[in-house]
Amino acid sequence: MSNAKNNATAISTYGLGRKPSIWENLSNEKYFKWILIAPLLIVLLVFMFYPLIYCIYNSFLQGGVSGDSAFIAFENYKYMLRDRSFWIPFSRTAQVAVICIFFELLIGLGLAVLWNRDFKGMNLVRGLVLLPLLVAPLILSLVWNFLLEYNIGFINQIFVTIGIGRIKWWSLQMALYTICGITIWQWFPFSALVLLSGLKSLPKDVFEAARVDGATGWYTFKRLSFPMLSPLIIIIVLLRTMWLVRLFDPLYGTTRGGVGTELLDWMVYRTTFVYFDVGYGSTLAIMSLYLTIIISAILFRQLIKALNTDK
Amino acid sequence: MRKGLLLLAIAIFCVSIVVVLASAATTEEKKFSLEDIPEINDKTAINTIVETGATFDKIVPYVKKFTEKTGVKVNVERVASPVVYSKENLELVAGTGVYDVAYVSNGWSNEWYPYLYDMRELAEQYDPGGVAALESDMKWHSAVVLATENSKGFFHVPFYTYHMGMFIRQDVFDDPTEQADFKVKYGYDLKAATNYVELRDQAEFFTRKKGEMLKGKTLENDIFGVSMMAGAYQINDEFTSYLWGKNQDYVTVMRDDSGKVTEYVITKADQDALLQAMKEYVELLKFASPGCLTANFDFVVADQGQGRAIIQPTMFSNCFVWTNSILQESVVPNDPDAKLGIYPTIGNKPFTGAWGFAVTKAAKNPEAAYWFMRYIGSYECQEVVMKEGGQLTTRMDVLADPVWKNDENIYPFGILVDYLLSSWQDPQFLEFVQEVYYSNSSAEGKVYEMQMNVLAKGASGELTPEKCIKELIRQTVELTSKFDKDAPIRVEE
Repeated sequence: MSNAKNNATAISTYGLGRKPSIWENLSNEKYFKWILIAPLLIVLLVFMFYPLIYCIYNSFLQGGVSGDSAFIAFENYKYMLRDRSFWIPFSRTAQVAVICIFFELLIGLGLAVLWNRDFKGMNLVRGLVLLPLLVAPLILSLVWNFLLEYNIGFINQIFVTIGIGRIKWWSLQMALYTICGITIWQWFPFSALVLLSGLKSLPKDVFEAARVDGATGWYTFKRLSFPMLSPLIIIIVLLRTMWLVRLFDPLYGTTRGGVGTELLDWMVYRTTFVYFDVGYGSTLAIMSLYLTIIISAILFRQLIKALNTDK
Repeated sequence: MRKGLLLLAIAIFCVSIVVVLASAATTEEKKFSLEDIPEINDKTAINTIVETGATFDKIVPYVKKFTEKTGVKVNVERVASPVVYSKENLELVAGTGVYDVAYVSNGWSNEWYPYLYDMRELAEQYDPGGVAALESDMKWHSAVVLATENSKGFFHVPFYTYHMGMFIRQDVFDDPTEQADFKVKYGYDLKAATNYVELRDQAEFFTRKKGEMLKGKTLENDIFGVSMMAGAYQINDEFTSYLWGKNQDYVTVMRDDSGKVTEYVITKADQDALLQAMKEYVELLKFASPGCLTANFDFVVADQGQGRAIIQPTMFSNCFVWTNSILQESVVPNDPDAKLGIYPTIGNKPFTGAWGFAVTKAAKNPEAAYWFMRYIGSYECQEVVMKEGGQLTTRMDVLADPVWKNDENIYPFGILVDYLLSSWQDPQFLEFVQEVYYSNSSAEGKVYEMQMNVLAKGASGELTPEKCIKELIRQTVELTSKFDKDAPIRVEE
């Protein structure tokens, strides 16, 4: 109705041989849709694209906030590729991502399968398991620092009571795995929740048919449930990879990057906001972004493939 | 007649002497107070930033008093100490004017001086008594003023000090059984260590397993000889005390005849001392709880407070206020005899300094900011910082108050006051502090933060002592070259 009216206005104005007024132009569908999305575009430009462009610009500079800065083209990138103190956190980040995603999926899947049946107190259990997701990660890291303290930490006290003895959670050999443990503990409910919703939405008739044909539980899971869940698994891997590349909070309240736990994002933070070497810090941040984009693109292709197979 | 005149002259002389002495006494007693703040015309509110913690809570009523007297509101932002530097640095450099009064640790004013007012400039402009009035009150701020007044000017008023000391379990050291056992094992008397060998021996001696004896009683837990903050928080403060104790520094500051800094050199002697200090530090960690690898001051204080460590070789002397004042009441739960003693750190050149306040050049109301800073540094507020806040003032007149020696205050304030006064009255130490890299380079803030990261890697074994010191030197050169444009830096080959 509205379109017809607009078109009629346009025809009549053209028919009269005069230019359409600014309001007539704005109400034209061609422009109107842009007006509607303009607020969002402005927000995106100001809060997403501007910082990104500014970060890329900074990555070509030497120095930063305090001190003179000079344009040095790709020198920061060249330096980064030679910088051993970059490659160590980089490989550690990859290691943490692999460990965390593997265990989060394993525990999450196991839990989702267990939850996918009715039992007494189901809602309470689900609610309790979700609790770690609801607490701020920074607070959790501080709490875990106390819980895992060697002498007076609650966990070691329990271990002493049951005869295992104290564990050096923050030793050079253990600290990175402790960080992984804290992260897995916080994020496995996310995988469990997503996979549970996937399991709940699987078509019942296929499983009925498998049951009638005498398929075992494991066979049904391997041949039906798991393949059908694969798009969700890829989504979990995709999201968790993006988040784990930026893992920061568990370090802040515990090791602060010490005892062999410095990850990529901590290095970005340290370089940019502690040393105030904004140029090199921005380079590292951009590298982290490239990395995330590449991994996400690969996983996204896999997701599309899995969805098409599913169809 | 002559006799009468002579008597009159003597009388006038005596009276004038009395008047002069009385006025001198009055002048000496007269301390800057809220009443001395003149009318401030600009009532624009001022903003400042401080660390979280109970001390400033005690100052809040006095901040309100300042507002009542001047009509200027003071907004106080509270942040955790590890982020104070990065947060302020950004605002100062960007010139946002978010803070009228900056919270400054000693060496930072070397870096931030372009963004801070010289106190004398403000005194000339706003103080009816001029620079003399400011200096007359600030003279009480003891040796720490040395570090607040650098070659670039006089930028901040101290709030409280974090001068380091060595804390030992005095009751354990005084125990006859322990003394006898120690002498048998090491061949000399058990007393607070004055050199590294003694400290290492004591650390080893007191590291004991559950079931062994301490002071004739069976231990219910493992205990450690020492507790150290080897995490990436304050390891550099601790390490600095060992390094300075060797009469060396991270970098040697070279000056010309006029006293101007001409060059920074990491001399061979500095390099050797750095490596030696790192090796000793790592060796000492063998006698500390594994938790020390990620520890900050809170952990170390709790470690000794719970009776799990006998010596804190390098700890901030204001440690009694932390971790729920665990050291204040009784050091070890259920042991009323447990007490601490404070002694000089090894080599008697502890890391020192103070948190303080400075007026930023971007301040919207510098006049009010100046008077607020004067008031916070005044006798009245500094007495509160110590008596109520439990922190240690840098004002010698407050420290000299006999009240700290009465029965109620002798432990811990009495012993801490004695320690601080003896430390700050040592001219050699004061001269040394003036010459160190921290007190001179405008890259100090960056280098300081870097040291935490690199030294913690050496302490944990992530880097060998050799690689750790090599990395420390590399990054010191890189950051100093980048952020200190006043003088070049080089490594002596």
